[in-house]
Amino acid sequence: MAPLLLATIFLPAVGAILAAASGQRARQSALVTSLFVLAMSAVLVVGFPGGAEPFAVLDLPWFGAAGGPVDIRFSLGLDGLSLWLFALSALLTVVAVLVSWEAITEGAGTFYALLLLLETGMLGVFAARDVILFFIFFEFTLVPLFFLIGFWGSEDRRRAAIKFFLFTMAGSVLTFLGLIAIVLWDSGHGGGRATFSIAELTRRLAERPMDRPTQLAVFLGLFAGFAIKVPLAPLHTWLPLAHVQAPTAGSVLLAGVLLKVGSYGFVRFALPMTPDAVVLFMPWLLGICVAGIVYGALVALAQQDIKRLIAYSSVSHLGFCMLGVFALNRLGIEGGVLQMVNHGLATGGLFAVVGMIYERFHTRQIDDLGGLARQFPRLAAFMVILSLSSIGLPGLNGFVGEFLLLLGMFQRAWADGAAGQAASYRVISVLAVSGVVLGAWYMLQMVQRVFFGPLRTPGHHLREGPAEPPADLSLRESFALGLLVVFIFWIGLQPRFFLDRMSPTLAKILAPASQAYARQHAAAVGANHRAPWPDLQAGARGPVRGVDASGPFGPPCADRSEPPMRGFQASPSSPISPPVAARRGSMHVR
Amino acid sequence: MFSIPVLIVLIPALALAATLATAALGPRVLRGRSHLPVVVAILLAFLASIGLMIQVDRECSDRASYERIATLWTWAVVPGDHQAGRTLFRAGTGGGVDGKPLEPGMKRTAGAFAEARPSPDFRVEVALRADPLSSVMLVTVTFVALLVAVYSVGYMHGDPGYWRFFTYIGLFVFSMTMLVSASNFLLLYVFWEAVGLCSYLLIGFWYQKPEAAAAGKKAFLVNRVGDFGFALGVFLIWTTYGSLDFHDTAGGLGVLGEQRCLSGAFAGGAVATAICLLLLLGACGKSAQLPLHVWLPDAMEGPTPVSALIHAATMVTAGVYMVARCAPLFAVSTQAQEVVAVVGGLTALVGAVIAASQVDLKRILAYSTISQLGYMFLGLGAGAAAGNTAGLFHLVTHAFFKGLLFLGAGSVMHGMGGVIDIRRLGGLRRRMPITCWTFLIGCLALAGLFPLAGFWSKDAILAAVHQRAGEAGHAAPYATLYWLGLVTAGVTAFYALRAFFLVFCGPEQVPPEAGSHAHESPRSMTVPLAILAGATVVAGAWLEISGSLARFLASTPSLAVLGSGGHGAPSGGHLAVAAWSTAAAMAGIALAWLMYVRSPQIRRHVVAAMDAVGLYRLSAEKFFVDQIYQMLIVWPLEGVARLAAWLDRRVIDGLVDLMGWAPRGLGALLRTVQAGFLPLYALVMLLGLLLLLGTLLVS
Repeated sequence: MAPLLLATIFLPAVGAILAAASGQRARQSALVTSLFVLAMSAVLVVGFPGGAEPFAVLDLPWFGAAGGPVDIRFSLGLDGLSLWLFALSALLTVVAVLVSWEAITEGAGTFYALLLLLETGMLGVFAARDVILFFIFFEFTLVPLFFLIGFWGSEDRRRAAIKFFLFTMAGSVLTFLGLIAIVLWDSGHGGGRATFSIAELTRRLAERPMDRPTQLAVFLGLFAGFAIKVPLAPLHTWLPLAHVQAPTAGSVLLAGVLLKVGSYGFVRFALPMTPDAVVLFMPWLLGICVAGIVYGALVALAQQDIKRLIAYSSVSHLGFCMLGVFALNRLGIEGGVLQMVNHGLATGGLFAVVGMIYERFHTRQIDDLGGLARQFPRLAAFMVILSLSSIGLPGLNGFVGEFLLLLGMFQRAWADGAAGQAASYRVISVLAVSGVVLGAWYMLQMVQRVFFGPLRTPGHHLREGPAEPPADLSLRESFALGLLVVFIFWIGLQPRFFLDRMSPTLAKILAPASQAYARQHAAAVGANHRAPWPDLQAGARGPVRGVDASGPFGPPCADRSEPPMRGFQASPSSPISPPVAARRGSMHVR
Repeated sequence: MFSIPVLIVLIPALALAATLATAALGPRVLRGRSHLPVVVAILLAFLASIGLMIQVDRECSDRASYERIATLWTWAVVPGDHQAGRTLFRAGTGGGVDGKPLEPGMKRTAGAFAEARPSPDFRVEVALRADPLSSVMLVTVTFVALLVAVYSVGYMHGDPGYWRFFTYIGLFVFSMTMLVSASNFLLLYVFWEAVGLCSYLLIGFWYQKPEAAAAGKKAFLVNRVGDFGFALGVFLIWTTYGSLDFHDTAGGLGVLGEQRCLSGAFAGGAVATAICLLLLLGACGKSAQLPLHVWLPDAMEGPTPVSALIHAATMVTAGVYMVARCAPLFAVSTQAQEVVAVVGGLTALVGAVIAASQVDLKRILAYSTISQLGYMFLGLGAGAAAGNTAGLFHLVTHAFFKGLLFLGAGSVMHGMGGVIDIRRLGGLRRRMPITCWTFLIGCLALAGLFPLAGFWSKDAILAAVHQRAGEAGHAAPYATLYWLGLVTAGVTAFYALRAFFLVFCGPEQVPPEAGSHAHESPRSMTVPLAILAGATVVAGAWLEISGSLARFLASTPSLAVLGSGGHGAPSGGHLAVAAWSTAAAMAGIALAWLMYVRSPQIRRHVVAAMDAVGLYRLSAEKFFVDQIYQMLIVWPLEGVARLAAWLDRRVIDGLVDLMGWAPRGLGALLRTVQAGFLPLYALVMLLGLLLLLGTLLVS
């Protein structure tokens, strides 16, 4: 599998040269390349054996001769965390090529070349198993996107591109320092060569964590880069500008994949390598996430430009992802990581739809549009499905991630021993759920105003535009969105297929953090303990009415020592009438 | 071949298959015959439901409780934090639970290990259940759906969205049958939202009408507020019970499983009350109870068969079903039960009072639905088996007579060119005799007149409340609620007959929109009316006198826990209640007759008197709830949103730009070195990176 992985990552780079060379046929060549990459990554996904170990590992010495002080390796591989994000990148690139088909006329060769270079960067960043390699790909994604925004964007593209670039660059410098500090600390304390292998560092740091001050410093460095990338409020202001100004393909990939590089970085580096710092900052991190959820949703509610609205919804949704991750339990992290994929599908699709609207009417203002559903039923159907996915309608993908991560957050606040933070965690959990309501509000309001009601299209379009009225989605556009919708339904109906493949890896990544949590809160948990999981499972019983345990969430059962369901007798205050209990012998048990 | 697990899967599967077939073939192949797959599938699903009910009845005749689970596939598994749990233990101080010292021998099971207890595995299966409660719901849903589907063939004839309509109906039947047979909270929530989606799509069916699109959005959003509560409740159930299953599984006890119900291992205290109130908030959203009732009247913008099926007979009763399903959880918390009863009682009264002054026939029926659902909640809130059974009994009878009334209203609209304002209609009994007589039966059943269905079920609810009021410790709220219920019964009779008299009696008044074809509706519409009218006449008395419904429902695991006391054959205790409620209904009917048939003089006087005390305005303006929400919630939130947007653009982004100014000063010094060409920065960055690596290599 390793050669296949290598080929998958670098095929787009080769395709980029071809696209640049093929001039008029650049788009066809780009489409073929991206479809090949998609097929190859599908093979990789199918070939993933499961479990916590990476697969398709390619590991070559790169910098540093054998026996030298540094060991930088050209190391690639996929594991449960990166697998789906890798596949998502391949999928969304196909969509990005398809949505650019008609929209990009000037400099098409360069455009598609940059798009494919960006794909190499994205695939590489998720597959990199070496710190340096990761960082090179990380930075490498910036350059093509910078040019895509700067040359093919809308009116204010220059400012957007520069802001995007500087913002991300500033953060990533600090991130890089943080990563280097990890390596140096490790080689200083473990002796021997400075390894840059992510897996090796994770393993060693789990056994012998860094001292707390170092962890805090390193975490702040990592945080600076990743939080800007995610982006967590209030570091998000580059995002709406970049999204609005970017060409559709740029928005699709920026929202769909590049934001995930930040959240991926948190999960890949911060959680296993600086667990104590994460635990220490946990209340603050969760607070920032939930602030982003509510704030992003509120700002989205007030937007007039559809693209800005979706950009702010991204701020809100990424807040959800990170909330799950920072809940530091299995449910939370699996929900959070799955939600990264879900957000990529839904928001990538939504940006694509906005691009299709813009191509037809040359406006993105909600007030300029109305009642499109009648003339553009296919466009409307896709928009409704993508919106419903985005607002987490059950049966679609968004619900699965949202439900799991919120459940994880609730478990943290109520059952996992919140260790002195119970009250604030509970407020955070409830606020996060309220973000779901706001999410439905701004999305449906936009959908209703743009797609339903009497038809309204901008007048100037009719005067200046082509003579024929704009048509409903073409086969190409339907195919692009259909690709996404397939996965939206698949994840919604059978999430197990996706969860099972990421579960062992995430358990391994989470372990240091949950140990750190136990370490830090051992005193608090021990002193002020409440049974995390009331022993109702074991069939212990207490009087039903008026049971009032020590606290609202304390153990409701008076006596836990009896084995379950043996020697059962209805307690006098139980509302079960004795005859019912007596007939229990004949009760149907499956 | 048609065993219980097969049937329980077959019922929703049929609906789903029909939906897919209609969606695929409707627009091109079936066109005007798009109803065929859906009607056939619902008919088969109805027969399967009957078969299921018969088998369940046979199975549970000798058992205290009965449930049968059919698991289709595992939806998701997330293992618990076993590792974290062990570490917790090792690090813990080893103290006993709540500071009590450990007893010897308790160590492993109860003491220190309790805090080390790992969080349970999260495992959700797509599991369907067959038990008396779900089979009753299935029969009700498929029966009404069948009649509505047949009716729609006539009603929706020629509509450009014909196939779309039947696709949505099929999707709804699928979702609703799944909802009532789901066997875990997650699946319940999934289909809870799915029926909400169908409702959203069908309310906005004529989406070119701005009102319809706005009403659809409003319904979805108000329901989202309810779902917010429901979701919180589900999350709390998970953190409390460590399971979302209703039934017991190999992994442990379910939340509402037979073993837990029998052993009574339910959490108590504040968390129990919190769970119940949050679930109730969800139920209030779906079942349009105070304070979330505002979406239902607007939902009447949808096609009338949809109003009959979704917004009267089935979907809106999902909240009632859910509360009944969770009866053991509510049984633990007396406070929560009282809140259910108070919400129900108040909604019943407010809905009825508003209905008394509306002029849009469908809105009268909508407020009537709100009010009748309030009755059901009142019954559920009365607790015990009697109250729950009575609430579900009313659910069934209400599905018949309210479905009948809505279809009757649709028939009037169909014949009158879409006019539904009762001030513009009158004396239609000669032109539409079948509609008239069936509508009358529906009105009288709604009014609760002996021996029609509404009488028996409403009486059962009032009796349960009356009984609860008699118990020590509960007297105050329940006694008041009982009298409120009686007053509501009077108002109900008044508005029901007011609508009937205005539309069908008096001098004939046909609006010009009707044109020349002001006639009785086609056979496909009148036959369902007649069948529902028959059911309305017969069902209540049969179910009550035979006592079969109560006995059958009592074998549901979550209802068995409440004991089998109270409700059964009509007992003597009911008689006083029955007499009072009949008197109230007769008074209401008499008043309506006096005002709208006998003498316009009295009508003017009564309206003037009501206006003088402000009641008329209050009723006509629907208690100003919409306006209050607009002022207290929508505008402030929109204001906050605008403020946040302004803040984002001007302040936060401004601060960031300001930070950009600082380097610019520095940059002025270095401008000679840097041309400001951005790729150069990238290049320098990369070079620096390589330099760094180089130093590492060298050192």
